[in-house]
Amino acid sequence: MSMKYLWLIGLISFGFYGALQAQLYEVKEATVNFRSDAPLELIEAKSDALRGLIDGEKRTFAFSLPVTAFEGFNSPLQRVHFNENYMESKQYPNATFAGKIIERIDFTKTGRYVIRAKGQLKVHGIERERIIRSELEMKNGSLHVSSIFTILLAEHDISIPKIVHQKIAEEIEVRIQATFVPK
Amino acid sequence: MAKTPLLLTALSLLLCFSLMAQEDDLLSLLGEEEETTEYANASFKTNRVINLHSLESTSAGVLDVKISHRFGTLNRGAYELFGLDNASIRIGTDYGITDQMTIGLGRSSYQKTFDGFVKYKFLRQSKGKKVMPVTAAFLATTAVQSMKWQNPDRENYFSSRMYYTFQLILGRKFNENFSLQVSPTIVHRNLVKTANEAHDVYALAAAGRIKLTKRVAINAEYIYVLPDQLLPGFRNSLSIGFDIETGGHVFQLHFTNSTSMIEPGFITETVETWGNGGIHFGFNVSRVFTVVRPGIQ
Repeated sequence: MSMKYLWLIGLISFGFYGALQAQLYEVKEATVNFRSDAPLELIEAKSDALRGLIDGEKRTFAFSLPVTAFEGFNSPLQRVHFNENYMESKQYPNATFAGKIIERIDFTKTGRYVIRAKGQLKVHGIERERIIRSELEMKNGSLHVSSIFTILLAEHDISIPKIVHQKIAEEIEVRIQATFVPK
Repeated sequence: MAKTPLLLTALSLLLCFSLMAQEDDLLSLLGEEEETTEYANASFKTNRVINLHSLESTSAGVLDVKISHRFGTLNRGAYELFGLDNASIRIGTDYGITDQMTIGLGRSSYQKTFDGFVKYKFLRQSKGKKVMPVTAAFLATTAVQSMKWQNPDRENYFSSRMYYTFQLILGRKFNENFSLQVSPTIVHRNLVKTANEAHDVYALAAAGRIKLTKRVAINAEYIYVLPDQLLPGFRNSLSIGFDIETGGHVFQLHFTNSTSMIEPGFITETVETWGNGGIHFGFNVSRVFTVVRPGIQ
């Protein structure tokens, strides 16, 4: 075995390593809002604690959000109940979404794209396969992602007692705005 | 010389493969999130255990209206519907100035007493970045009884109506279902009936709760009054009850041998005993109103 090949393999793998590195985008700043619009009460909360990665080459992505970071609500007690009784955040601290972008496009080039993100959405410890429509915009090397989707509480085993049925929506609207920069 | 490229190749291959392996699971590549301080909350359902103050405080900007009843004793029998014909009442409101500072006012039918308190939580149980094993709060209360003077002919002073309580509350939420607290207490009474009674009464209170379901918990509290301070016939207070929480309300249903719902009363003036059925059924209803809404920044 010649020395040359070894050098070559070494170089190639180094190059590959470099390429992999360059394709990763990481959340720089993000806001996640949710809205429960029930007949008797509107509940809104917000968090800035979203973390996420997108791989530009493989078109895979992963998001994670600590549930306790949500702020807002109509009263401090409501926030306690949200964590204690509904999300059980001690037991299920993070909500996650990980998977792959369906469209075969190169969004690393400047422009706007509408894509479908297919993956496993884990909320309250229960995973559901979801396809979530999102808008991507690549501008000046950073990637802006925005998306609006809904989560059905029943799909994630979050039960609402009868007594508060009129105050908590069965379907929760989630809005995400995130800016990604190369990692 | 041959070793260098070999080593380099091996290293870079390793690096490359390890990275590829991780790529399969971007989620794990996200890594651990930054460590934050996580404060224990909801150690008790509300800021009272039964009669005692719990280590919880009212959140900032929240008004907590409490209506409490203690009925007569169960041993009165069917003629008085096991005590339900009589009721001792306290109506009160608590307000959270900050998340740590709570103030409150109340009026009890027992000896027509007005009371006020300030409670300050100076340590919060936490884990993560900042570790604190216990929650600690300081409680100071004042009570003024407004009964007509028993002896109107003699010179009576307003100060004779005053009672003060100072209490340190130390507690810990051991896990999601179990919380325990102890409260060393001093009750000062400006006027006592006989020279054998102490003006300053020292007591040690203990209270705990076990969560049964998400919305129901069982509470118990016991107050040990140190010996030789009260006249014979006064007892230690023991109470057991359930907390039922429904959104903005907390219903506390309990059995206790105390009639009064404020510290000088239930700590130093409890006369009934559990042994002979001197047990009062009672309840506290707490309803919270958000006065200042927490905004989304």
